[in-house]
Amino acid sequence: MTALLSIRDLSVAYRGNGREALKNINLDVAAGERIAVIGESGSGKSTLALVIAGLLPPSARIEGHIDWQTTEFRSSHSFAPPSVLPEMSGRTEGAKDRQPKFVPLGGRDIGLVFQDPSASLDPVMTVGKQIAEVAHTHLGLDWPQAFARAKTLLERVRLPDPDAAMHAYPHQLSGGQKQRVAIAAAIAASPKLLIADEATSALDTIVQAEIVSLIRQLVAEDGMTLLFISHDIALAAELADRIAVFRHGELVELGTTAQIASAPHHVYTRALLDAHIGLDTEPMLRRAGASV
Amino acid sequence: MSSPLLAVSGLAKGYHRGGKAIAAVDNVSFAIGPGETLALAGPSGSGKSTIARLVLRLVEPDAGRIAFEGDDFLALNGAALRARRARLQMVFQDPLAAFNPRATVARVLNDPLRIHGIASRAERPRRIVALLERVGLSPNLASRAIHEISGGQRQRVAIARAIATKPSLIVLDEAVSALDVSVRGDILKLLLDLQTKERIAYLFISHDLGVVRAIAHRVVILDAGRITESGDARAVINAPQSAIGRELVAATPKLHRTTAP
Repeated sequence: MTALLSIRDLSVAYRGNGREALKNINLDVAAGERIAVIGESGSGKSTLALVIAGLLPPSARIEGHIDWQTTEFRSSHSFAPPSVLPEMSGRTEGAKDRQPKFVPLGGRDIGLVFQDPSASLDPVMTVGKQIAEVAHTHLGLDWPQAFARAKTLLERVRLPDPDAAMHAYPHQLSGGQKQRVAIAAAIAASPKLLIADEATSALDTIVQAEIVSLIRQLVAEDGMTLLFISHDIALAAELADRIAVFRHGELVELGTTAQIASAPHHVYTRALLDAHIGLDTEPMLRRAGASV
Repeated sequence: MSSPLLAVSGLAKGYHRGGKAIAAVDNVSFAIGPGETLALAGPSGSGKSTIARLVLRLVEPDAGRIAFEGDDFLALNGAALRARRARLQMVFQDPLAAFNPRATVARVLNDPLRIHGIASRAERPRRIVALLERVGLSPNLASRAIHEISGGQRQRVAIARAIATKPSLIVLDEAVSALDVSVRGDILKLLLDLQTKERIAYLFISHDLGVVRAIAHRVVILDAGRITESGDARAVINAPQSAIGRELVAATPKLHRTTAP
């Protein structure tokens, strides 16, 4: 197994409360795997997404390393010039490391999809332009090529009537359609890693299932690595090969989906499984005494 | 069957979007008995929340009738409506949005006691302590601001506020959807306990069929503003007959465990 990224002794603290959002995390993400990070509020799961994508605010204190498997990226893209991101490489590398390291670039090497597509998309730019911009910026395509790629992507994310959608504005689309556009923009530069942070949490159950199935298909077709961040252990189990359970900033358990779902080691993982209310859960309602 | 607590018949509400008329709720009828939980389930845009708003009279219907505690609820106005509203309360998904974030817990609970004339000024502090204890919160929380307490605590305060006026029906619109799973179970237990002891009925709106099946007596499944099927919650969810019912069940994430935990 080749690790696409190796997280070593990673801790993150935000300025203000001084509490560590992540504490001493060690995690390898294999190239091509689908790994889910699950946890409740305050578990640090979103901080993990942000630190991997290099999107933490400059005030955040980061210790430890994230090491990237350069050969995985070299095949599709040139190196990021270290001068472009001096601050970020300085923060993610430990003080011991003096050599310039490969630092992946958000949008090009890492695609990101968040919970609220309305916040990710520009409300006054057409959908086609937003996707084309990614291809133009990161792949160096000229505009006609970039727009052609945007249309192909809208077809790939199965947006109804991609021709019309190219000229539509985000507010003209439903929540599920907007999330499809956000996914198209996230994969426009053929990233190696796709991070979906609660990407289906604001959607209803039916649309959620469609988006999960779309993500599964796109990840398989493009050979992407998937980091799927969710509060929903059942949803994570449907999509992921491995599950990492986070609580209060710590990685409490890491295992294959089957092991986590069927034979959890940690008491907290077991508590999460027990708290899941599925279609086969014993109803909580006692029927006696209820009116008809 | 005893006379229903709430009986809704032929309810309709439409609105216009981009010059097109859209039926948000189209000829919807259902009834809830005392101490019963009726769930409304359906995809986004199926009309669940519009029905909640209509029942609460936050919006007025285009057509239909709502009988609550034996009276024509839509005919009530002014003081009579305000008085009856004490019996029909609500808890929403996001209590932070429902409350003034800078208000203290005590003030949030004091308001309904004062407005509905339930307790005298001198008696209210004692009632607030009793309400907090009833929903499993420490009375020490009374002086804290709404924004300072956790999401689960805040939802307990919302429930305490709702039961302050001794309602017979509470509309719960996605009231547990935003909670962490470890907190959700305790809130559901609290709701069931209140129902058993105070005989409160719930109109429980949720997109989560697992939760609906766990706590509702009956379920109404909606699609595009219309009822597609209804019946015993477990029976409907175990074997849905409508296309949208089957789609909702199929889309619900399933946790496959090979061995017992």
